Amino acid sequence: MYKFKFLYSKMIQYVLVIFLILTLNFLLPRLMPGSPLAYLAGEDVGLMTSEEKQKILDKHGLNDSITTQYIDYLSNIFTGDFGFSYQQKVPISDLIEDRLPWTLLLTGLNLVISTILGVIFGAMAAWKRGTKTDINLLTGFMFLSAMPSFWIGMILVSLFASKLGWFPVFGAETAWADYQGMERLLDIGHHMILPLITLILISVTTTFMTMRYSMLNVLGEDYIQMAKAKGVKEKTIKYKHAMRNALLPVATVFMLSLGFMLGGATVIETVFAYPGIGRLMFEAVVSRDYPLIQATFLIITFSVIIANFIADILYPLLDPKVGKENG
Amino acid sequence: MDKEKWRSYWKTLTSSNLGLIGIGILITFFFIAIFAPLIAPYDPSERIAPPLMKPNGSFLLGTNDVGQDIFSELIYGTRVSLLIGIIAALISIVIGCLVGVVSGYFGGKIDSLLMRFVDLILVIPFLPLMILMAAFVGPSFWNIILVISIISWASPARVIRSQVLTLKTKGFVEAAKSIGTNISTILRVHILPGVIPIALAQFVMAASHSILIEASLSFLGLGDPFTKSWGTTLYYAQARGAFLTDSWIWWILPPGLLITALVVGFALTGFSMEEILNPRLRKGRS
Repeated sequence: MYKFKFLYSKMIQYVLVIFLILTLNFLLPRLMPGSPLAYLAGEDVGLMTSEEKQKILDKHGLNDSITTQYIDYLSNIFTGDFGFSYQQKVPISDLIEDRLPWTLLLTGLNLVISTILGVIFGAMAAWKRGTKTDINLLTGFMFLSAMPSFWIGMILVSLFASKLGWFPVFGAETAWADYQGMERLLDIGHHMILPLITLILISVTTTFMTMRYSMLNVLGEDYIQMAKAKGVKEKTIKYKHAMRNALLPVATVFMLSLGFMLGGATVIETVFAYPGIGRLMFEAVVSRDYPLIQATFLIITFSVIIANFIADILYPLLDPKVGKENG
Repeated sequence: MDKEKWRSYWKTLTSSNLGLIGIGILITFFFIAIFAPLIAPYDPSERIAPPLMKPNGSFLLGTNDVGQDIFSELIYGTRVSLLIGIIAALISIVIGCLVGVVSGYFGGKIDSLLMRFVDLILVIPFLPLMILMAAFVGPSFWNIILVISIISWASPARVIRSQVLTLKTKGFVEAAKSIGTNISTILRVHILPGVIPIALAQFVMAASHSILIEASLSFLGLGDPFTKSWGTTLYYAQARGAFLTDSWIWWILPPGLLITALVVGFALTGFSMEEILNPRLRKGRS
């Protein structure tokens, strides 16, 4: 019952966020100075007679009342119709269908690998707190998080792809090579290594910091001292007692950092010309393809909200305290 | 606030090595920004040499694709990156303070409404949202600042609110209230002095975030093409394929190092400020 109430209030919050985002997205092109035609249809208004203008306004429903427009807009989005990309001359939903799997593959792998690495290094630093290992890890991660993510990617491309030629410079697979089966899989993996490493480098810090902090807290608990006093083996204390209990906050970060990662993917995919949603957003920005910018923004944001909601459903299962406190 | 207290803050700040390094870095960059015209050998907007020259005696970092001196471009870029970072951080902290103080002090419905709104903003992935808005408002110096600060105030607002909540329960605030002191006096005399140090630490952190965000936005081509920041330089380097030749060493590497150094400078200063304000942290680190 408590759990249900907690989820219910969370759900209302997410419905509000979605509503806020959809409304912002609807209003932006209409609030900007100048004709919304430039933003919504990519038409050059300057060269048109007012009759032509009216025709196109009618065609796009821009002469309807603002409420009708809003309702149309909402119903379109809920049926998966994001409109038409006037630069790439295809329905936006087709583009998204092509690009989304690449981003999900990249972010999914990144999420798993960077979490594992962050947990291992975080636990290590906390276990050896105050020693050289701890301080080196802390400084290393601090510098890493001070670097612009795209710049790390640019350096990796320059060094390992262009200079040394170990990896391809751009793309997700070799074009027109027509690889099949295993060969294709290897090709995709080969293309993914550098963007994936870049993403991991920028994402691992959050997990590391969370794990280190949480582990330090756990190590101060009475039962750890007790176990030590009883003469339990160090390895058992570290893995069985401390690490397991310290993992809980990491679970929250795991899902919450998805938003950060998808945001990061926008710049990283741009560096590597990786054909994901982020790169699509960049292409849309460069060609000022406003409907496409809006659609990619919505897709990224919806993915983050869905991930957050899943995290909220799973979290009370991991930590029985949570549902009750907030209920 | 009394001078004694500030002096002790400053002493603690500079007594830790990290804080000192941070402040040192910041002072260096401020110096470069202020004296840019004296340090830079050329006007960065002037085409003064053949394009894509290698570094040599007169062009320390070579020239870019249109024949401008990259070294001078970076020196002047310090001004842009630093200014955008600081102004954006300042605006977000002012909004954050306003929301945080109102929310924390008055509580009740206003509080839950404002905090609901803050939560809403924090759920949205900030970079895509900023890209969306920047694309609509167009690339310019002030628009970048607007886009960054309009979203970045949310998390400082939370921190400041919780500080106000702690202050509110302190005896002197209760006492002032009970003798009928008016709200503006309570806020000015009792609440603000407790909020300002926290706000300063938040400001320094926000500046380091803003600099990174500005770099990302500029790299995506959303920066002002006429006042080039370090991120804009990297955008052109990427667009002209600098990573395909050796020119990455003088065209890509230096701007990134500068961004990293500046962010580290702000972060170190911020960390040690937080340590001063939160003595529990000082014990926590060994």
